[in-house]
Amino acid sequence: MERKMKKAGKASWWKYGAVTLAAIIALTGCSSAASNKEGNSNSPAKAAETSAPVQGGELSYALATSPVSLDPHTNGLAVGVRIINNLYDNLVVQLPDGTVKPWLAKEWTISEDGLTYTFKLRDDVKFHDGTPFNAEAVKFNFDRVIDPATKVSNAFALIQPYQSSKVIDEYTVEVKLASPSQAFLRNIAQGTLGIVSPTAAKKYGEQFATHPVGSGPFKFVKWDENSEIVIERNPDYKWANETAVNQGAPYLDKITFKIVPEEATRIGSVQSGQVLAAETVPPQNIVSIKNDSKFQLLSTNTGGLPYTLFINERKQPWNELKARQALQSAIDVTSIVKSLYLGTYEQSWSPLAPVTLGYDASLENGIKKDLDKANSLLDELGWTKGADGIREKDGKKLTLHYVDASPNREKRNDIAAIIQQQLKEIGVDVKVDITKDYVNQIFVNDDYDIYGNSQVNADPNSLYPFYHTAAPTGRPTLHGYSNAELDKLLEDGAVEKDEAKRVEIYKQVQHHIIDNALIIPIYVFPYTIAASNRVQDIKLDALAYPRFNDTYLTK
Amino acid sequence: MGKSVFVRIYTSLLVLVGALIVVFIIMNVLPGDPALMMLDPAESTPEMIATMRHQLGLDRPFYVRFAEYFVNLLHGDFGNSMVNSDPVLPKIIKHFPATLALTAMSSAIAVVIGIVLGVLSALHRNKPIDLLARLIGLFGISMPTFWSGILLILIFSVQLGWLPAMGSTGFKSLIMPSLTLGLVGAGFIVRMVRTSMLDVINESFIVTLRSKGLSERVIMYQHALRNALIPAITMIGMIVGEMLAGTVVIETVFSRQGIGRIIADAIMAKDLPVVQGVVFFSAVVYIIVNLLVDLSYSFIDPRVRRAS
Repeated sequence: MERKMKKAGKASWWKYGAVTLAAIIALTGCSSAASNKEGNSNSPAKAAETSAPVQGGELSYALATSPVSLDPHTNGLAVGVRIINNLYDNLVVQLPDGTVKPWLAKEWTISEDGLTYTFKLRDDVKFHDGTPFNAEAVKFNFDRVIDPATKVSNAFALIQPYQSSKVIDEYTVEVKLASPSQAFLRNIAQGTLGIVSPTAAKKYGEQFATHPVGSGPFKFVKWDENSEIVIERNPDYKWANETAVNQGAPYLDKITFKIVPEEATRIGSVQSGQVLAAETVPPQNIVSIKNDSKFQLLSTNTGGLPYTLFINERKQPWNELKARQALQSAIDVTSIVKSLYLGTYEQSWSPLAPVTLGYDASLENGIKKDLDKANSLLDELGWTKGADGIREKDGKKLTLHYVDASPNREKRNDIAAIIQQQLKEIGVDVKVDITKDYVNQIFVNDDYDIYGNSQVNADPNSLYPFYHTAAPTGRPTLHGYSNAELDKLLEDGAVEKDEAKRVEIYKQVQHHIIDNALIIPIYVFPYTIAASNRVQDIKLDALAYPRFNDTYLTK
Repeated sequence: MGKSVFVRIYTSLLVLVGALIVVFIIMNVLPGDPALMMLDPAESTPEMIATMRHQLGLDRPFYVRFAEYFVNLLHGDFGNSMVNSDPVLPKIIKHFPATLALTAMSSAIAVVIGIVLGVLSALHRNKPIDLLARLIGLFGISMPTFWSGILLILIFSVQLGWLPAMGSTGFKSLIMPSLTLGLVGAGFIVRMVRTSMLDVINESFIVTLRSKGLSERVIMYQHALRNALIPAITMIGMIVGEMLAGTVVIETVFSRQGIGRIIADAIMAKDLPVVQGVVFFSAVVYIIVNLLVDLSYSFIDPRVRRAS
C-alpha cells in the first residue's frame, strides 16, 4: 500500500484530500442546525451570565504541534509560548490596545536618553520551587538570554538592544540598553522573555527545557513526549496582571495539553467529547463549530507581520518598480483568501497586522486587480508575449521562481498554485518550488523571486528586521530593497517617544512599502479554538495566546 | 537446521549494518541543516549558526561521525537527540511497546480476516461471499490509511461516541488504529490466499484425494489449506513489516505515542541519532519476524525440513 501511494503521487493525495473534506463537511454539517451563535469574539457569547466561576476540574486542550522546549529563552515556537505563558510571569504585560502595564514590576522609570530602565519589583512573588523573586533573579534572567551558552532562540532577538543589568537593592533593578528602543517594554512582555527560577535554571542546565520552573499561575507536572503536557494550579498565586479578573490562583486544578497533529482528529476529539478544547480549527470546521449549539468558537487575529509575499529585488526584472507593480495588479488576493479560507481569514492590505499599533487602515481596498494595468506595465518594460503566451525580452522568458516551505502550513502551498494560474494571464511563467529545505534556499543561497513569511509580534518595530537595509541579525532582507528614506523612518520609529508621532511614522513606512510594491500582503492569521460549551472564559491576550487565569468549567 | 539458523542470523546482522549505513548516507545527502532548523532563520546570525553546528558536531566529515556513531552503538550508546539532547535509547524503549502493540494487533487482524475471507472466497468462488471478500480486499488495499482512519474517527468517535478519537492508553484506543492498519494487510492476504487456494484445488493430488473418497471438508481444511498457506506465510513476514511501516501514518492520525511518530518528527527535524535508533529497532523487529517465518516453513512443509 505504501508503494502504491507513492506511485500514485501528489495528484491522488489531492483527490483523497478533497474527498475527505467533503466527507467531513457532510458528516459534521448534519449534526445540528440550531442556534447560530456569535463566534468571533474573545469570550463565549453565553458565558457566565448566570453562573459564578467554579473551583476545580481539569481542562483538556488539544495542540496542533508539540513544543520542543518549555524554557522560554530557548523556545522558538508559538506552540511553546502557549504553555510557557502559564508557567512563567513577565515583568510587564501588554494589553490588547497596545499599552504596557505592571506585572512582576510594580512600576518603572525610563531615563531621558531612553537608555536606562529602572524597575521596582513586587516583593511577594515566589517561584514554584520556593526561590524568592527579586532584582537578582531579573538580572540573572536577562543575562542568561544574551549568554551564548544558553542556546537561546527568539529571546535573543527580542531582548535587543539590551546591554546589562544592575541590582540597586533587593527589589530594584536597573537595565541598560545600547540604544533607545520604543519596542523594549512590549518585547519583555512576551512569553519568550518570561522570568525563570534562577535556582532551577542553574540546577537543571540544558534539562531545564523539560523541567521548567517559573512563578506563573500553573506549575509543571509532566511532559509525556508526543502525548501530553500536564500543568497544575499554583495555589500560592496572587500576582496576576490586570488582564485577569481573578487575581489569585486559577480555578482549574489541572490543564492537560494533548498533542494532536492531525486536524480532523483534533476537531473530532472535541466533537466526541474526548477533549474540551482544541486549537487551530481548519476553515471548513469553523463554520460547523459555529453552527453547533454544543460548541463555541474563539478567534482572535494575531499581530505583527501578516502572511506576506516578499519580492526579491536582487533578481531581474523584479528590481524594476513597474515589474513589481505588474505583480501587485495581477495577483487577485481577495479571491485567493475567499476561496481558500471560506471567509474565515481576513485579507491583509499592509505589512502590519490590523491589531498592531500604527496600522494604516487607509491602505485597505487600495490595490485592485487590474490586468490591463499589469499588461501595459510589462509592455512598457519591453516584455512581449511569445507564441506560447509567455512574455519574452531579448530571448529570455519572463519566469518567476516562487519558493514555499513544506509542509503546507495554512494552505500556503495552495496560494502558490493559484498565483501560478493568475500570473499566467499576464504572461508570467511561475515556477513553484515547494521544499523542506527553504532555509538554505532562501537565506543561504538567495535562490528565489518570491517567498512568503509572517511573524507574530507586539510592536510595529517588528518591521525593522524585515525592511531595514542593515537588519540587526546581519542577514540580507527577504526583498533586498535598500532605501535611505525607509531606513530613516524605521530608525525614527524605533526611538520616537510621542506615540501619535510614532503612529504617523509607521503609516509612512507602510505606504512606502506598498507604493514601492516590495510585498504582496495576503492574509491575517486568526488563532482559533473550538471548545465545548462547558468551558468558560478562556481569554486570548494581546498576541492571541490563550490565558487560563479566569477559566472554569460548568457541568 | 542449526547451521542454517546461524547463517540466517549472520546475514541478518549484515542487513542491520547495511540499513544503518544507508540511513546515515541518506540523512546526510538530503538537503537541510539541523542547526538551521533549530534556530529561527529570520533572527539568527551566521555566528549563531556556526556555534550551533559545532555544538552538534556537524562541522566534521560524515564518515568520521558514522565511525564514531557505530563504535558507540557497539557499546550500547545510541547517542542523544539533536533537538532536545534526550538520550535516544530510553526514548525508544519507552515508546516501543505502544508501536509493538499496534503492529501485533493489526498483523493479527490482517492474518485472521485475510485467511478466513481468502479461504471462504476460494471455496465459494463467484458466489456473493466471494464478491464481498474481494470487495473488502480491494477496499483494504486501495484506501489510504490516513483517509480510512479519519473516516472511522468520524463514524465511531464523533457520530457514535463509542471509541476515543486519539491517544494510546487502554485497549479501546487500540481498536480503531489497528483496524485501519489491519484492513490494509487483510486486503493483501485475502487476494494471496484466494489465488493460492484456487491453484491448490486444481492440483492433481486433490483429484487423487477425491477419488479416494475423502470428505470434501477434510480435503479442503486438512490438505488444500495447508498447502495454500505456505505462500501466505511468506506474505505474513512482509505484512508485519508493512504494518510496522504503517504506524508512521497511523500514530499521527490517531495521535498515539510510538516510534512511528518519533521517526516522522525526527526526519522533519533531521535529528539523525533518533532516526538511526528507530531504524535500528525496526530493522531488528523485521529481521526477527522474517527469521521466525522462515523457521515456521519447516513445520508446515516437510520438504523444507528434509532439505535442511
